[in-house]
Amino acid sequence: MIEAIIVFSIFALLLGLVLGFSAKKFKVKGNPLVEQINSILPQTQCGQCTYAGCKPYAEAIAKGEAKINQCPPGGQEGVDALAELLNVDTLPLNEEHGETKPKHVVEIDEELCIGCTLCIQACPVDAILGASKVMTTVIASECTGCDLCIPVCPVDCIYLIDLKPSMDEYVPNMEKVTNV
Amino acid sequence: MSKHDFRGGVLIENPYPLNQLSVVEVPPPKKAIYLLKQREGASAKPKVKVGQKVKVGQVIAVSNNDYCVPMHSSISGVVSAIDDQPIAHSSGLKVPSISIESDGKDDWISLKGCGEEVDKCTPDEIIEKIRNAGIVGMGGAGFPAHVKIKGAQGAKTIIINATECDPATLCDDALMRKYPEEIIKGIEVLMYACQSQKAIIAVEEDKVDAIIKLNQTIKNKNICVEAVPIKYSTGAEKLLIKLLLDKVIPTGSFASSSGVLCQNIATVKAIYDAVVIGKPLVSRIVTVNGSALKNPSNYEVRIGSSFSDIVKKSKPSANPHEIRVGGMMMGVDVPDKNYSICKITSSIIVDEIKIKQKESACIRCSKCNEVCPINLLPQQLFWFCKSDNTKKASSYDLQDCIECGCCSYVCPSHIPLVEYFQYGKALVKKELREQELAAKSRERYEFKEFRLDRIKQERDKMMAEKKAALKAKMAKEKDNKAKIAEALKRVNDKKK
Ligand code: SF4
Ligand code: SF4
Ligand code: SF4
Repeated sequence: MIEAIIVFSIFALLLGLVLGFSAKKFKVKGNPLVEQINSILPQTQCGQCTYAGCKPYAEAIAKGEAKINQCPPGGQEGVDALAELLNVDTLPLNEEHGETKPKHVVEIDEELCIGCTLCIQACPVDAILGASKVMTTVIASECTGCDLCIPVCPVDCIYLIDLKPSMDEYVPNMEKVTNV
Repeated sequence: MSKHDFRGGVLIENPYPLNQLSVVEVPPPKKAIYLLKQREGASAKPKVKVGQKVKVGQVIAVSNNDYCVPMHSSISGVVSAIDDQPIAHSSGLKVPSISIESDGKDDWISLKGCGEEVDKCTPDEIIEKIRNAGIVGMGGAGFPAHVKIKGAQGAKTIIINATECDPATLCDDALMRKYPEEIIKGIEVLMYACQSQKAIIAVEEDKVDAIIKLNQTIKNKNICVEAVPIKYSTGAEKLLIKLLLDKVIPTGSFASSSGVLCQNIATVKAIYDAVVIGKPLVSRIVTVNGSALKNPSNYEVRIGSSFSDIVKKSKPSANPHEIRVGGMMMGVDVPDKNYSICKITSSIIVDEIKIKQKESACIRCSKCNEVCPINLLPQQLFWFCKSDNTKKASSYDLQDCIECGCCSYVCPSHIPLVEYFQYGKALVKKELREQELAAKSRERYEFKEFRLDRIKQERDKMMAEKKAALKAKMAKEKDNKAKIAEALKRVNDKKK
């Protein structure tokens, strides 16, 4: 039963993606400055910048309505990159919007999940699969770690999990190498 | 003697020559640990359960990813654990593994090979056999042999890499002395599988005995041994091709696209075992060498054996040691001996602790530039990597660095240049990964917006249609009511 639902959901999603792509392909390209700003933003889509996602924030920056230091996932590096692109002085990251957390994803405790689908609606990137009254699950590879699904869960069954360090993603620590 | 050369490289004398080159056969260990991920990329998934009995040669882990070969048990016994165990890699991480406790019997599965008449099998069948035997490049890179061979179908020339240029590693030398017949037959199998016309075995010129043995064994006029000069990093695939064939393989392309297949000699022996006998890859020769050992030697060991068991046989001193795996130049330092032998473990070097020279400032002597066999500018790359300037480093071809370590070796300031380059490459990879992830998230975000918009439009359309239908219905009802009223009126009128 559950497998069937998952399979069908994936199928539906794939079909949807195809539709989505064709829709995008034939759409007229937006404002190039917005695109450039958006390409620097980390695409976590967490809304901590007070906008509904990275693109709306990019639009606000382009219009001069928002400061460049409101994106915690992008960190100070992101602010600096925006400053360079826009040719303005850089600012320290505004801590009111939150702190830069290490990369992570979330996981749903499938035993506790009641299938209310609230998290599915909250997920900005459709990374949660499921349907009404059945167990829901997170596609880890699509999860941006925006954490928007965590507060909406009525039974608190969504947890942060740190990404396990892997050999493929290993970056040596140069301090260790040179300090011996 | 080869007629060509490549620029750069360094002459390094073997600091620990082995006085005896025979191979010591090590009996199957009491316990073996098989690491299911031995290089970057996918890892094999266990096919056995804890408590299950297995025989030697039985498949214990598989993957449907073509770049990940199956793993076989190298001892007979019982699966005792399936968990994460440390791998001899600079990251110090653990990877998925299977542990097996021996029953002391060395009980094998029944082996079925093609036999000596290999041409009874088709090339495709042979390649499949190589994959199923779990063979990867045994020189150190660990790239799946069948993928390389498939990509090199029709390659005119096969180069068998037996240069073993890393100074303290001598396992291939030992292999050539012990198994010349198997090696030559393995080469013929490879030539048949790729339909190639010629094979060159490249051996360093000082390995005289090995060269004589091979020459005595060769009966096929299309196979020859070429003695190459002793120069470090000759064994790097592209350099060897340049040296033997004077062919330059362009950046970013593979030797196979130039009609050349390069295979390590130990891999060729494994191919013989797999195709002719039907025996999977369950053992290899490992050089155990270094200043802290009384009896350095070559050991033929089962995959999964523990480092410390093997090192013990060479009688290490009682002092603390420095341990390096995979070669003096190309290898990695590891903190202890708690590892198990992988398919790619060519050597374990156990040294007395040396005082590490402290890194000092670059004096711009440009010695590093002179020795770089790839013609890079290590001195520049160093600055870029040190300052995390990946863009600049990439524009100076950081990706082409083969991490041979010639530059670090000659640097009078003891700058660990290769480590900086490995760091820089890892940073580039990380940036690429993040960009990919961001692009994917952006697409999915935009798609969700599009989806919500579409749902809204559909709902609006549905509502509008419903409204229209209702209106029409109401109008019709009104019409009907009027008609009824009219009829009633007529009836009433008649009655009057
Ligand atoms: S704060 Fe979140 S939504 Fe805003 S730009 Fe940064 S990642 Fe995107
Ligand atoms: S830059 Fe890379 S390829 Fe060149 S010598 Fe140094 S390690 Fe070898
Ligand atoms: S060899 Fe060392 S000191 Fe000389 S130029 Fe290269 S990095 Fe600098």
